[in-house]
Amino acid sequence: MSCKDNLRVGIYLCDCEGKLAPTVDFNKVKTNIQTTANFEFIRIANFLCGKSEQERLAEEIDRYSLDRLLIVGCVDPKIKRQFIEFGEEKGICRYHIEFVDICKPGKENVEGTVSLINEGLLKMQDRSTIVYEELNVLPEVLVIGCGKEGAATALAISENQPVTVVDNESSQEGKQLIEGKKNITVKTGVKVVGLEGFPGQFLVRFLDNGKHVKQSFGAIIVALDAQPCFNQDKYQLRLGERILSLSQFINDDKDYSGQKVTFLLGQADEDSLLSHAAVLKNALMLKEKGADVNILYEDMKVSADQLEQDYEAARARGVNFLKYNGDLQVHLTAVAVTVRYWEPFLPQIEQIRLVSDYLVLAEDYLPDSGTADLATALDVRTGPDGFFQKDNVHFLPIMSNREGIYFVGSCHGPIHGIELQKEIETAKAEVGRFAGGKVRVLALQPQVTAEKCAVCLTCYRTCPHHAIEIVHDESFNNMYHSAARMHPLACRRCGICAAECPGKAIQLPLYTDQEILQQISRPPKLVAYACENSGALAADMAKSLDPNLQIDLQIVPVPCSGKIDALYLLKALEQGADGVLLLVCHKENCKFVWGNERADQRMEQVRRRLREAGLEEDRVEIVYLAANQGNQFIASVQSMAARINQLGSNPGKVIE
Amino acid sequence: MIVVENKPVEDILQMIAPYKKVLIAGCFGCVTVCLAGGEKEVGLLASQIRMARQKDGSPIEVLEQTVERQCDKEYLDKFQDNAREVEAIVSLACGIGIQYLAEVYEPIPVFPGVNTQFLGANLDVGVWEEYCMACGECVLDKTGGICPIARCSKHLLNGPCGGSQYGKCEVSKDVDCGWHLIYERLKALGQLDKMAEFIPAKNWHREKGPRKLVKEELTLERD
Repeated sequence: MSCKDNLRVGIYLCDCEGKLAPTVDFNKVKTNIQTTANFEFIRIANFLCGKSEQERLAEEIDRYSLDRLLIVGCVDPKIKRQFIEFGEEKGICRYHIEFVDICKPGKENVEGTVSLINEGLLKMQDRSTIVYEELNVLPEVLVIGCGKEGAATALAISENQPVTVVDNESSQEGKQLIEGKKNITVKTGVKVVGLEGFPGQFLVRFLDNGKHVKQSFGAIIVALDAQPCFNQDKYQLRLGERILSLSQFINDDKDYSGQKVTFLLGQADEDSLLSHAAVLKNALMLKEKGADVNILYEDMKVSADQLEQDYEAARARGVNFLKYNGDLQVHLTAVAVTVRYWEPFLPQIEQIRLVSDYLVLAEDYLPDSGTADLATALDVRTGPDGFFQKDNVHFLPIMSNREGIYFVGSCHGPIHGIELQKEIETAKAEVGRFAGGKVRVLALQPQVTAEKCAVCLTCYRTCPHHAIEIVHDESFNNMYHSAARMHPLACRRCGICAAECPGKAIQLPLYTDQEILQQISRPPKLVAYACENSGALAADMAKSLDPNLQIDLQIVPVPCSGKIDALYLLKALEQGADGVLLLVCHKENCKFVWGNERADQRMEQVRRRLREAGLEEDRVEIVYLAANQGNQFIASVQSMAARINQLGSNPGKVIE
Repeated sequence: MIVVENKPVEDILQMIAPYKKVLIAGCFGCVTVCLAGGEKEVGLLASQIRMARQKDGSPIEVLEQTVERQCDKEYLDKFQDNAREVEAIVSLACGIGIQYLAEVYEPIPVFPGVNTQFLGANLDVGVWEEYCMACGECVLDKTGGICPIARCSKHLLNGPCGGSQYGKCEVSKDVDCGWHLIYERLKALGQLDKMAEFIPAKNWHREKGPRKLVKEELTLERD
């Protein structure tokens, strides 16, 4: 066994101040390793965690130009952290430091230690592709939307990098705020019709006032204002001189001083903080101009910054807040508009009649009319009520399913002003990474073996992040001279592609098939493939809930349940497990869009295959859980353990 | 692409019941692309077979190998080391590969691991549709680029028939009427007059048996 020649490995055997010396003869290990393995430097250390040893280690890293460290000794998370921090200071990436714990029972001898060291070296070789890549990126940012939100976003970002703001036909209220400003170009009558490329180097196709043009950008921010929309069907009221929609009211410049104005909330604006914010703001302004103001509400929504203060201020200045319950009736006469309603806290009182000069109706906020088309053009997803972004707890507010494309403001659901500010700041930080024209990233994206790539497009189509391209390169040794490539800036490292590949051409660094299958080479009764965003965390929690928890279980962490290859399930059973669990995130809540759905489909596939092979399909089960469901983890594992006890030993296991 | 579907494992187990050592032969061509016969599927099937046989008390050794294409002899030669080791081979290539493999490796029995379905397009992950039946005499110029042989249930050259309703075929409401598609396409192309053109019946009679194509200007003079 040898490492690739270009790796400069330093092996450190630490006997922990002599504590390990009685069990393992380090000199013999060293001699053995020297004859079998390929490395740059090896040394027996006495106390590697100590300060003086670390100084010596630092010196040796420089002297021998070491870029990989293999630490052999007693290993715990604290020691790991210490060495990872140390490595970072010395410019050695965390994935290039390998730990070999020789305190494992059964391995406390020369032979065992040597085999563990060789395993470690092999792992290092697997990880040899993990290197830092420096990529050229464009600092230019495209902001889609020239309303107030788009303008505010553009202004913030233009402090650091150039911004182009485009808008097709929606509100261009923000135009005058940004036109002519430094670092900002504004183009109206421009529709985004297509997108190619990857973060840092997007190529955007536009229909610019009827002409097809294209331009490159580093990142894209969608900031289309949600549009207020009066819903005639919900109100069953006709707008007129005395009954106005909120946007009609905002846009007219009539003098309401001395008039009685009633705002009506809760009839057609459910779930919308925007309508509550707008009503409060206008009620306050109106009150200051000397009007008599009522707000009729069913539930007052103030769950956003500043709204509570606005509510308090409105009350203090004499705006009447009137709560109603259920249906209400509106009567219009030539001189007034009357609302009849029921007061929920005073049931003995007959219907209340509220007479006003004007009735202002709150409105729905709907996504910009171009949202669906834009989502198709950018290949990003829409969610509830047609707004951008799926309703998924794993998604931070500005995140889309693609790196380098962000949603700011009410385009992803009606949000209130101060939240908007926070989103703008976050987006500014995100796109700010590209301001310098270069980024340095760890190449942790899946690696493709071109010889095995059939360019079948399965990975390309199943990637939820649009992170894959098919590239042509004469050096690729297959009949097409083409292969899939995962872009380091676009890839989120879920590993779905690796699990989908029909040619086994794709390997995700740190989670290669070899690394995963090695963990189940001699499995216990139960193997659980656990998503690191839910199952694996729930397992950790379970341990803290019940430190005495004893289950004969091997947990194999995966970055996403979409990485759980059908082959992993069959292999676990073939190699001796009696049952296999898939611990995955709740439906519709996969951090990687559809990883858990793919896992579910693969489980069904494997159950079919077991049936066909005459084996019990119940040996494979999927469990949906969240990171904080330690109890659910315990219950699921115990119930599976009971099930396999009932089923008995797996008759299909093939053990040599 | 040639589209295939995996045979149920029960069938394969029955075929290889007498043997103690077999090779699963994958193909890197169409069957990898249609997710039924590449290295991945070879591994899954091998694992299934090992477990099924273990359970039945007659353990089996299963070798796994995938080559570029099973429809070319040079690639089939790559199986020779493994073929020598085994009593039988299960091929996951299309019907062409299975036959050619059986021919090259006679007298080793070669069994089909897939059912070859049709020549089709990959519409999306896991979705394929028949587009061509290799009739040998293309009429796509007359039918707006939609094949009446492959996509009309009755292979009618002059359609639609009376079974076309609301764009669907009387065979099944899930099947598009091929001639309806042709009509819509010709309309979009502004070539509706082609609907009135009569396409004469094909000569389906094969005077010389199975088809063979020899391009004299390309063949080598081999001794």
